[in-house]
Amino acid sequence: MAAVTANTRTLMTDPVRLSERSGRVAAPGGGGRSAETWKRDILRQLRHRDLSQHDRFQDLIRFYTQLLDKTSLAKGILSCSSRRLSSDSSSLSALRHQNNQLKKTTGELAYQVVELQRQIKIKECVLEEQHARLLKEERRLASAFDARQELLERVEQVQAENGALKTEYDALLERQRGAETSLREEKVRGGHLLEDMIQLKKQAAARMNSRNERRSRAREANLQKELQTAARSKVTVDSPSSAPTSRSTSPKNENGSTERKHTRLFRSASVTSPRILSSIKGLFDRKRRGHSVCSLEEDLMCPVGVCLSARVPVRARQVLEAHEQGINAVRFSSSSDLLATGGTDRVIKLWEVRAGSLTHRATLEGSTEGITCIEFDPMGRRILAASYDKSALLWRLEDSVPKLTLTGHSRKVTAARFSSLSHQVVTGSADRTIRLWDLQRAACVQVVEVASYCSDLVCSENCIMSGHYDCKIRVWDTRTVSCVQELPAQGKVTSLDISSDHRKLLSCCRDDCLQLVDLRRWSNDRMCFREEGFKCGSDSTKAVISPDGCYLAAGSADGAVYIWNVSTGNLETRLPDKHSSSISAVSWSLSGEYVVSVDKSRLAVLWTDI
Amino acid sequence: MADDKDVLRDVWFGRIPTCFTLNQDEVTEREAEPYYLLLPRVSYLPLVTDKVKKHFLKVMKAEDVEEMWLEYEGTPLKWHYPIGVLFDLHASNTVLPWSITVNECWTQIRLHINDNNFPDRDLLHCTSNSVIEAHFMSSIKEADALKHKSQVVNDMQKKDHKQLWMGLQNDKFDQFWAINRKLMEYPTEEGGFRYIPFRIYQTMSDRPFIQKLFRPVSPEGNVHTLGDLLKEMYPAALPNDGEQKRYQVVIHGIEPLLETPLQWLSEHLSHPDNFLHICVIPTPTD
Repeated sequence: MAAVTANTRTLMTDPVRLSERSGRVAAPGGGGRSAETWKRDILRQLRHRDLSQHDRFQDLIRFYTQLLDKTSLAKGILSCSSRRLSSDSSSLSALRHQNNQLKKTTGELAYQVVELQRQIKIKECVLEEQHARLLKEERRLASAFDARQELLERVEQVQAENGALKTEYDALLERQRGAETSLREEKVRGGHLLEDMIQLKKQAAARMNSRNERRSRAREANLQKELQTAARSKVTVDSPSSAPTSRSTSPKNENGSTERKHTRLFRSASVTSPRILSSIKGLFDRKRRGHSVCSLEEDLMCPVGVCLSARVPVRARQVLEAHEQGINAVRFSSSSDLLATGGTDRVIKLWEVRAGSLTHRATLEGSTEGITCIEFDPMGRRILAASYDKSALLWRLEDSVPKLTLTGHSRKVTAARFSSLSHQVVTGSADRTIRLWDLQRAACVQVVEVASYCSDLVCSENCIMSGHYDCKIRVWDTRTVSCVQELPAQGKVTSLDISSDHRKLLSCCRDDCLQLVDLRRWSNDRMCFREEGFKCGSDSTKAVISPDGCYLAAGSADGAVYIWNVSTGNLETRLPDKHSSSISAVSWSLSGEYVVSVDKSRLAVLWTDI
Repeated sequence: MADDKDVLRDVWFGRIPTCFTLNQDEVTEREAEPYYLLLPRVSYLPLVTDKVKKHFLKVMKAEDVEEMWLEYEGTPLKWHYPIGVLFDLHASNTVLPWSITVNECWTQIRLHINDNNFPDRDLLHCTSNSVIEAHFMSSIKEADALKHKSQVVNDMQKKDHKQLWMGLQNDKFDQFWAINRKLMEYPTEEGGFRYIPFRIYQTMSDRPFIQKLFRPVSPEGNVHTLGDLLKEMYPAALPNDGEQKRYQVVIHGIEPLLETPLQWLSEHLSHPDNFLHICVIPTPTD
């Protein structure tokens, strides 16, 4: 033991010096580091102290103590026995004493045994108790384990559910993303469309501007030319007139006032001016040829002209390519000297009808899409057209730009008619509505919702008749704006026409049949006109009643014009060979002498009886 | 903090190997074997020497021995000092194990004959453990008076006091520190205790120890270190520049660096009586 402890002192002091040195080195290094240094130093010194003072002696001292116990016990026994051996002759009392002592120790030992056994029993009891507790705990553990298993299963289940929900969610998300992408694309496309539209509108405006400019320039040039010719003719007129009469004014005065010049010209130069002469002649001509009872004055004032007899045309007097694209509509004015044609090329052309020939007089522009229907007003001063551009347009004959544009329909306008009230017009549209418009306010005054596409309509006194794609002709009362009657038709109604005495209604249907209804006896009297070879060419083929009500005219898909006699119900004539494609519309002049048919391949044909 | 906890454990479980031999003058039946024991540094001698007493009683003739006193190389060991302090003070640089001589005195003699060998001048009588308990608790209270104006210890319940004592008596580290922890707390804004409870022991002095008021933080807000304390209380213990070190400053058998903060030392290297016992001993001359 002494050997072990021999150099404790040096061992103890050495690390102290070492640490001191390291502490001194570390001190200037900084507060934080030195703080760690002293703590680590203390820890190390404590370890070292325990190693040298505690750990080394621990076992030794324990063993020594045990040894001491054993030796004392052995010594006790030895001392007893040795004493017995050595002093054999010693007194019995000593032996007895020894015996007693031994007995006492035995007793003590026995007591110890008993004590120990009792302790064992107690321990066993404790053990048993602990065993029982252990069992209980095990059971609890098992139940807890079961519960855990159950929970785990539930967790799994919930996780599976969550997974399903997640996939569902993901799918929804994917769909949403797709929808968003398509939405974005649609928006981009919408933007492009809008841009395109704006571009187109700009182009249209530019075109319109250039046309207007061109027109005004042309007008100026015309004016210039007229002025020049006037200046020139003035010399020819003036020189003879100034010679016989001194009443004529100076050339300068003549330029100043047109009215005066007009009257004077009329009087003084009646023989010499060929224009005046021809116009007067034309007036007489018309009167003679038309067999019309209404005079020129009457024609202007009272629009209802009556034609006594219409002559069935037999020959084509003129064939001309009237438009740049297909022609959809044709209509004579009530005075029969003016014809209007409207086509897919977005313009209406006015033609002067004179001596069996058509002369281009004016072009009415303003529609942005093809024209579907044309009508002159009863006075012959205005012209109403329906257009594919969802609007109806109204021109005055002297202006090439529209006076009014009636917008409000959501699809193409198929028909536009002047109503019996002169300031109202009625339009029918593919958007299944019929609208009434007030021209003075240029506004829609009434909208009638119809169940079907309206293809055509006509107006009579207080009622409107409209033809529809659901094979029905509906009669509306304009005062109550309600459908008063529905007339059946055989097919989609493509056009309607009413006789000039407002007694008969003609409808053309897609089943290649014209139907004439007597409006005075609703639905009872119905005549059908069919002919082999006659085929209704399109959904907007227009048929007409002749102005005297004796004939019906319609163009067929085979390019021939068919004319039926109403009184016999038979075909009167068939005019073939001029059209090469389906005829879209015909018109019969109010004078009864002309029929014009137009087709999809840009041709217009003027038919007469001569 | 793990380090700090280790320090606390190391301090608590510090042991000194000791060899007890019976004084040659004692009257014995036969020669007594020496008795070896590992003494806990933080405990008190009467608490741990029951076995020693029992061992030597076996060989004593007299059965009425009541009190036992111990000495080391002729110096009576004061039981009211912690064992570690006694060792560091008297025997730190000697050969291990620490050999302590056991003296027995029996009541009759002490009572009837005044001529007893008990060193009345140096030692107090220790008749039972309750005396030690009273001494221990009074030390704790004194220390807390210095640290917290006695607020903490007065707020404790009786059973907490008992737990401190039982923890020491039965060598239960966790039991003791569960309560002692509260005594080591201090308001963070003050940076430490009010005063550090410390005692500086010296071998060669008439005074038993130095104990004065000393704050852990200087008025300027600097943290006081072990070096600062010694400079103030015992400047001779500090080595002068360029001079051989004359004194060792030993706490729990180790020499902490002088820059160690005093507050930390008080928290971690105090004895269970909450005092920081510092031994200043002369450097051994080889």
